[in-house]
Amino acid sequence: MQAQNEFIVIFKDKYTTLTYYEKLTLAICQVDAEYIPINDFKKTFEFISKFIETSKIFYFVFDKSNLRTFHQPSMEWYFAIWKPSLRAKGLVNHYKILPNLEWFAKAVEAGKHEILQKYGKDILSGINITYISSINEVIEQIEMNNKYVL
Amino acid sequence: MDINYYREQLQAKEDMLARTTEFLSQTQNLLVEKNLRLLKSQRDIFDSIEFAKLVQTSLLPDPRILKIFFSDAEYKVSQQIGIGGDTIFIKSTNSGVVFCLLDATGHGIPAAMLSISGSLILNDITTSLEIDDPSVLLKLLNYRLHTTFNNNNQSIAHFEGTAFYYSTKNNTLSYSSAKGKVFLQNSQGEIISLASSKISIGESPYSEFVRFELPFKKGEKILLFSDGLTDQFGGEQDKKFTASRLKQTVLNHPDKNVTELKEIIYQEHLTWKGNNEQTDDLSFKLIEF
Repeated sequence: MQAQNEFIVIFKDKYTTLTYYEKLTLAICQVDAEYIPINDFKKTFEFISKFIETSKIFYFVFDKSNLRTFHQPSMEWYFAIWKPSLRAKGLVNHYKILPNLEWFAKAVEAGKHEILQKYGKDILSGINITYISSINEVIEQIEMNNKYVL
Repeated sequence: MDINYYREQLQAKEDMLARTTEFLSQTQNLLVEKNLRLLKSQRDIFDSIEFAKLVQTSLLPDPRILKIFFSDAEYKVSQQIGIGGDTIFIKSTNSGVVFCLLDATGHGIPAAMLSISGSLILNDITTSLEIDDPSVLLKLLNYRLHTTFNNNNQSIAHFEGTAFYYSTKNNTLSYSSAKGKVFLQNSQGEIISLASSKISIGESPYSEFVRFELPFKKGEKILLFSDGLTDQFGGEQDKKFTASRLKQTVLNHPDKNVTELKEIIYQEHLTWKGNNEQTDDLSFKLIEF
C-alpha cells in the first residue's frame, strides 16, 4: 500500500479529481459524479492534457467507477480527439476502471463499437488500453513491469 | 447540481439506453445469422455423413454367405457417428471362405476411409490370389497398406482384427489375429479367448502374423468383436463394459441361437451405454459351427 502523501491532488471540481503519483509518473483521473456534462468533461481533459505534457506522465488511469451515465458524444471526443492527441505527446498507456455493473460495461462496448465503426480501428493503434479493477492493481502492474525493464 | 445537470443526464441516459439497445439488437441479428449459417453447415455435414453411411453400409457383406458353410452366422456393425472404422469382410473362395473383422485406428470420417480401403484391398487380394492361409492374408494386407498409405515409410493406416479361413476341402478352420478379439464357446459351454499376435496391421511393412489351427465341433460358437463393444462407458459407475461382462452375457444365454444372441449382446450394450455417447465404433460377428 502506498503512503497517502505520495499522491498529490492536482485538480478537483464537482465532477473529477486529478491525482499525481510522481514515483511512477502516473496520473489518475477519478470521476466523482454520476454524470459529467460535455463542456466540463472537455475542460477537465484539456487541463489533464496540459498537465500530462508538462509533467511527463507515462501512465494514465481513468477511474469511471462512480459514473452511471455513459455520454456518447463525450466518449467520441475522448476516443477520437483526446487520446490520439495524447499519443502524439507520448502517452500510450491507459488504464480504465469501470463501474462493476454489467449494463454499464455493455453500454461502453456499444459506444466503443460505434466509435470504431465511425473512425476505424486504427484510431487506437499504438495505444495500450487495460481494464483494471482498482488503483492498487495498476500500481502493482506498473511496478512489476518496471522491475523487469533494464 | 442544478436542474439542467439532471435534465442533461437524463437525456444522456436515454441516448445511452437507445444506443445500447440498438447495439444489442444488431448483435442478436448477427448471432441469428451466424446460427443459421451453422445450422446449414451442420445439415450439410449430416447429409454427407448419411450418404457416406449408405456407401459404407453397401460394402458390408451378406451374412448368408457364412450360413452356406456353417450352421448359423450373424454380425452387427454400429459406427459411432454412422460411419467409422469397423468393417466386416466375408468372401467365398474356390476352396472355402475367408471372413474377417477389422477395426481401423480412430473413428469418424478418416477411420471410415481406412475401413473402406481395407475392405477393397482385402477384396482385391482374395480375388487375385487363392488365399488358404489367413496369416498370409494379413501379411499381404499389411504390405498393401504400407504401399498405399505410405507416409515416410510408415503406413498411416492401422488395423486390429482377425482373419479366418475355412477350408471345405479339409474341413479345417485356421485364423490369424493382429490384436484381434475372439471368444470360442466350446461344447462344454466354456468360453476361451483365442490367442493373437501382439502387433497390429500397418505397424511395420514386413510384419509376420501367426497362423493358428482351430479344431471345432458342431454346435460350438465363435464371437469376433472390436474393442468398441468392451470399451463402452456406462453402467451405474460410468465404467467400461469389459470383456468379462461380454463373456458373462454369452454364458448367461447358453441355449440361444446366433440371431438371438446377437440381439441380446447389442441390447446389453445399449442398456450399459444408457444416455452416454457411443464410445467407439462397434462390431461383432457370431458363428455357430
